[in-house]
Amino acid sequence: MSGLAATAGEPIIRLVDVAVTYPNGKTALTNVDLEVGRGDFIFLVGPSGAGKSTLIRLLVREQVATHGRVYLAGRDVARISRAQVHRIRRRIGVVFQDFRLLPNKTVRENVAFALEVTGAPLSEIRHRVPRLLSLVGLEGQSEQLPAQLSGGEQQRAAIARALVHDPAILIADEPTGNLDPVTGWEIVQLLLEINALGTTLVMATHNQEIVTALRRRVVALEDGRIVRDELGAAYRRG
Amino acid sequence: MAPDVGFLRFLGFTMVRAGQGFWRNRMMSLAATATVILMLVLLSGLAIVLAGLNSGLSYIESKVGVTARLVDGLETTAIGALVDEVSALPGVELVEYVSPEMAMERLEQAYADRGQVLDTGGAAISLYASIEVALTDPSAAAAVGDALRDRDEVEVITTRQEQYDKLLGVTNVVRLAGLSAMVLVGLTVVFMIVNTIRIAVFSRSREIEIMRLVGASDAFIRWPFIVEGMLCGLIGALVTVLLVAFVWGPIQPLLIEIFQMPTAVGAQFYTVVAVLIVSVGLTVGMLGSWISVRAHLASGA
Repeated sequence: MSGLAATAGEPIIRLVDVAVTYPNGKTALTNVDLEVGRGDFIFLVGPSGAGKSTLIRLLVREQVATHGRVYLAGRDVARISRAQVHRIRRRIGVVFQDFRLLPNKTVRENVAFALEVTGAPLSEIRHRVPRLLSLVGLEGQSEQLPAQLSGGEQQRAAIARALVHDPAILIADEPTGNLDPVTGWEIVQLLLEINALGTTLVMATHNQEIVTALRRRVVALEDGRIVRDELGAAYRRG
Repeated sequence: MAPDVGFLRFLGFTMVRAGQGFWRNRMMSLAATATVILMLVLLSGLAIVLAGLNSGLSYIESKVGVTARLVDGLETTAIGALVDEVSALPGVELVEYVSPEMAMERLEQAYADRGQVLDTGGAAISLYASIEVALTDPSAAAAVGDALRDRDEVEVITTRQEQYDKLLGVTNVVRLAGLSAMVLVGLTVVFMIVNTIRIAVFSRSREIEIMRLVGASDAFIRWPFIVEGMLCGLIGALVTVLLVAFVWGPIQPLLIEIFQMPTAVGAQFYTVVAVLIVSVGLTVGMLGSWISVRAHLASGA
């Protein structure tokens, strides 16, 4: 299997007794058990240093758990060979608080770059990029450089890039962290639309207002442990 | 069989990115290329000198037992008297006077025997006059040499063994010193390329991070940098090939004049040297960039 084709009813993300301990003895995650169904939308909340980023790195296989198992669509990611990791990553889109766009490329080139570096044919690039820019509402800004865009537009460009391989999972790490409240809500609306199209969404955030207003599943981390996992919950610590 | 379209796309991507990388990082790239040239010039000089010396060694093996190089401007009568005296020595089979003109003819013949033409590039080469002593008994070489050594007409005495040992000694020294220098310069070159590519990798770390996140395979990340290193090696090699071509003509008569034997190497050897230069340039470029990129990529999970 090269992608994340889950069988019916199987969680697309499953963590079993996961722990991450660094060589210096510092523990980033402990006893983490988590299941996320296909098409779900979950919030990952918790203070800085709670383990959210480590959890995200495990999901994109930038890091491997020192204990326990991480399964994506039933597949143990630790058993995926280094040479095959890129196939999994094509099925997981990631967006960050700081957008991480290439400053010397236009919006169109930034999105196309994600296809070029995976060997996509030119015809596919020409076909997909305008569609994605249209989906995120950036048709008119395709030839602008990131510096010429607002924060919200840059995040939209980053989302378009994350969707370039039609991922089964979209991970958003503080996607509204650098945006004003109105723009932040626009980005969340866009993420909800993407989720409605069937993409599983994992959003790490500190934004209490958004979490409380949307009443989705909330997984709260503290000191590397899941301290709360509730459906339709509000934002609160512990 | 038609080439795989995916591979061609990969190749195109790699070449374009390598070229862009070389240009963006041009100061470091050119510095690395300069060290490659230094190393390859040293290598080609070593290859030419060693090939020439080996050629001289095999020439000596085919020569007479004792050779006495004569001083310039000897009268014919003096030469005749010397030849007669030496012919009377025990163990001597034949004594032959070799004029500078005859020496040149022999040199040309030695080249012709190898299917080459002696090309001095228009330079005037002066070979020495000598007498060559063929022996019935090889053990008489020392006595014949001693008899000739103190004579005014004689400048230098060389027996075949002496000459062979001397040239072999020179060859060994050149080989050892040359190879040691090569290793040192080679390490410097690899170090330069490692650092050049490391800087290139760091300057594009954001791009690499994004490439990883969007699912680029290691080959797509790694090979543009490796080709960039190979580009330093290739450009350095091509410059060196041109430099060697430029000095190839003058080197040939110079070597002959120094060693007084066919130590110069044929034109076809230039092709061998050119292939060696390009191969070593590419290999060193690839090795340096491979080490650099491997270390960087290994830092990711």
